[in-house]
Amino acid sequence: MAASSVSSSSVVTERRGIPAASFVEDVQTYLTQSGLDVNSSLSFLQERLHQYKIVEMKLLAQQRDLQAKIPDIEKCLDIVATLQAKRGSDEALVADFEVSEGIYSRARIEDTDSVCLWLGANVMLEYSYKEANSLLRKNLENAKASLEVLVADLQFLRDQVTITQVTIARVYNWDVHQRRIRQAQAAKKT
Amino acid sequence: MQQGGGSESEVTWEDQQNINKFGRLNNRFHELEDEIKAAKELNESLEDASNELILSDEDVIRFQIGEVFTHMASDEVEARLEKMKEEASKDLERLEEEKESVLAQMSELKKILYGKFKDSINLEED
Repeated sequence: MAASSVSSSSVVTERRGIPAASFVEDVQTYLTQSGLDVNSSLSFLQERLHQYKIVEMKLLAQQRDLQAKIPDIEKCLDIVATLQAKRGSDEALVADFEVSEGIYSRARIEDTDSVCLWLGANVMLEYSYKEANSLLRKNLENAKASLEVLVADLQFLRDQVTITQVTIARVYNWDVHQRRIRQAQAAKKT
Repeated sequence: MQQGGGSESEVTWEDQQNINKFGRLNNRFHELEDEIKAAKELNESLEDASNELILSDEDVIRFQIGEVFTHMASDEVEARLEKMKEEASKDLERLEEEKESVLAQMSELKKILYGKFKDSINLEED
């Protein structure tokens, strides 16, 4: 867990475009310094919270995409490895493949040293097994690295959400508290 | 995680960090529950597959790799399945361990936070 790494996050002001929520030491000072009254500070914080939530949804979608991509690449690696293992064994690899939805045909893959990788954007390239393997491995590593960064981004974001939520609760409580004091004072006078 | 009531206890940066940490752990806990569920399903499917394999008397099995079904000798399929089962059960074990550790850390934090804020803070799920 990277829990200790956030100990200095009071200094961090943003992470990849996500602004950090500032921690409020004292509600009274915070309100005086920002020149806001309770209601406008609450609506400012709510607005912030809402923006954080939008970014969170975006990041979560990216995370889902990557999480789907990783097993896909692993599957590709698996089949390349299977082809590679068959090579030189004189035996052809026989496989049933889907021609169209629900319709399968049979293929014999004779001794060969290459596969074609679909690179996207309507481009397919032929690679030797070795090259295909290393390309796919590189893609896998990249995807895993991006996922790691993304997870860290999400953690950062959620910390900011929590800070904002706590701040909202504190400003609200502070307000309730102030009202009570005023009421008590008013009650004393009468 | 919501603070209720009108009582004002001082919230320090340290408290805030503990609350953040609790939030992160709670998130991870939910992710782990999903991951564990998926891992259990995978374990069961692999177990089912190897049971079916024992019952079948075919020499050549169609084994799905990626999108295609390759024709594979049954002993090779058996070896692959064993390996997959081993990996899957290790994976499940690792996830269960992480869950235990997350739960332990959460209850530590609960002690600290409830100790300070009493019932001004709520760390339970509805």
